[in-house]
Amino acid sequence: MTFWRSVAAQASSLRVRLLLAFALLGVTTTAVVASGSYFQARTVILQQAQDAAVMSLTDQLTKVYPIAQLPPTQNDLDLLAQRLSDREGFAVVIYRDMRAQGSQTPAPLSPELRAEVGDGQIAWQRVSQDGRPWLLIGTQLRLERPDGTAHPSGLEVYSVRDLVPEQQSIDQLATRAWWTGGLSLLLAVLLALLSARGVLRPVRDLGRAARRLGEGDLSTRLTVRGVDELADVARTFNDTAGTLERQVGELRRMESDARRFVADVSHELRTPLAAMTAVTDVLDEEAEHLPGDAGRAARLVSQETQNLTHLVNDLIEISRFDSGTARLALDDVDVGAAVTATLRIRGWTDRVRADLPPAVVARLDPRRLDVIVANLVGNAFRHGAEPVTVRVSADPDWVTIEVADQGPGLDPEVLPHVFDRFYKADTARTRSEGSGLGLAISWENARLHRHGERRGALVAGNAPGGGAVFTLRLPRETTDTGGAR
Amino acid sequence: MTGRRTGRALLAGALLLGPLLAGCGVRPSLVITGRPAVSGPAQGVGLYLVAQGELVLVLRPARGDSSPTKALALLAAGPQPNERDQGLTSDVPTGLNPVVEVTPTAGRFGGLTVRVTGTAQALSPTATDQIICTVSDAAAQAGVVASSGPVTIVGSDGAQPARRCPAR
Repeated sequence: MTFWRSVAAQASSLRVRLLLAFALLGVTTTAVVASGSYFQARTVILQQAQDAAVMSLTDQLTKVYPIAQLPPTQNDLDLLAQRLSDREGFAVVIYRDMRAQGSQTPAPLSPELRAEVGDGQIAWQRVSQDGRPWLLIGTQLRLERPDGTAHPSGLEVYSVRDLVPEQQSIDQLATRAWWTGGLSLLLAVLLALLSARGVLRPVRDLGRAARRLGEGDLSTRLTVRGVDELADVARTFNDTAGTLERQVGELRRMESDARRFVADVSHELRTPLAAMTAVTDVLDEEAEHLPGDAGRAARLVSQETQNLTHLVNDLIEISRFDSGTARLALDDVDVGAAVTATLRIRGWTDRVRADLPPAVVARLDPRRLDVIVANLVGNAFRHGAEPVTVRVSADPDWVTIEVADQGPGLDPEVLPHVFDRFYKADTARTRSEGSGLGLAISWENARLHRHGERRGALVAGNAPGGGAVFTLRLPRETTDTGGAR
Repeated sequence: MTGRRTGRALLAGALLLGPLLAGCGVRPSLVITGRPAVSGPAQGVGLYLVAQGELVLVLRPARGDSSPTKALALLAAGPQPNERDQGLTSDVPTGLNPVVEVTPTAGRFGGLTVRVTGTAQALSPTATDQIICTVSDAAAQAGVVASSGPVTIVGSDGAQPARRCPAR
């Protein structure tokens, strides 16, 4: 089945179809012309042979007259048959029941021929006997009267001629016709191949260019050759690719403008925020002594300033990822120890169940690992439910860190957007404690670790028994490739 | 769709190649007729004898007189041995002594009258035809009348109606 389908696909390819069309055209034309001329030539050859034979027979027969005796003796008939036979053929002479023949070959006289001859006409017929073609010509010998009428004498003469020479020249014609047909088929195939190449090369070029364009090479252009439809297609392709390149360039420029704007704004905010932080530090100290609303306001301002500082720092971090300037500070790190340190610094050691095998050493950026683990565990506390588990495992190529909680898990609708920037799973809760950039930054941090084809990844999912599971996979060997995204 | 197209292509090919493969070489033909048969002059006296109920023309070498009367005399004498050997007979009774007269009024296109000694009515139809054909043939040969002219046979008991030779 598959074989036949592939054969059908082959057969319907443009090249094969062109080939078939040309071959069919060539063969048809040659067949019509060759067979037409063959049949005509055959008719002419046979007609000439027949006419000449009839002519020579009637010439010979006029020398038989005048007839002096009827009925003839057998001897008379034999003599007449001998006189009419030559090396091209022999004669059969019939008188009523008597018959004389100039050759031992049996003459294949057909009843129809006898009937036509009996009606007083010269008649002839081609017959085939033992695979050889024969021409039979028959005539009565009639007796003329002085008044112009003629009476049958009862004598009938049949001339039997071999048509083998004619057959040979006709066969030669046929052989020549077959050769002509074969040569024209060959010529048609050659022409078809030539024209298929002419048509298929631009098509192949077009296909290759379209594939390159699809792979993202927007500068792909075709060379426009000639003025035919294919050249039109190439021109349209070039125009389309040009428009596409221009528009994509425009979009990229706008996107990078927006990113630069965010980066610039974040940087501009850093200086006033530093000043504000200094002021709120003082306020924090004084808040204890401030009465009522003034104290609450002072604490609120201090808290929001902290949040704002957080947000601006996250934004600066994100803009580093976007501009590709984020760099890894690689070190050989004992992953278990690093995770323990992260938990201890934040005071979570008692609340987290940690499964940390000893001596898992990987080359990675410890600060970024700290950011990711802290973010994941913090999220687990904030959105999930305790107990939270951190499990580290390793194989020769990868280090895997799983952070799981026992909460309700992630909504399937949320799952694809978990790592989006400022994505809020709960729309009712417009303000959360985090900046809304934590998971996005973690994801970018994970992807920054790469070694050859291996690239770090952060995946969100749900455990079979309920609860969200975030899985971080980092290559054990990381080479800093810069900010390549 | 493809199947139908393939079928059509095969049909076209068969139509094209069929006659080519079937019609090669010299094919047997039907009977072709041409001019009327060869004819030429005869020499001698023509008589009509009978073989298997049909009139058959017999030519005998002419010795001297070849008038219609002489031809009738030869006919009345019966077939010669070599003719008898080939199955030729005659219905004309021997000793008939027929004499031919040219009807004067009709001239060249007139009829002929054959006067016989016996009874005319007793002659069989075959014998009558033999006489009529032989006499009209001989008369035409001698240039007396047209060979297709009517012939009357008159006997002692009267005349048979004038007739033409049926063997043409």
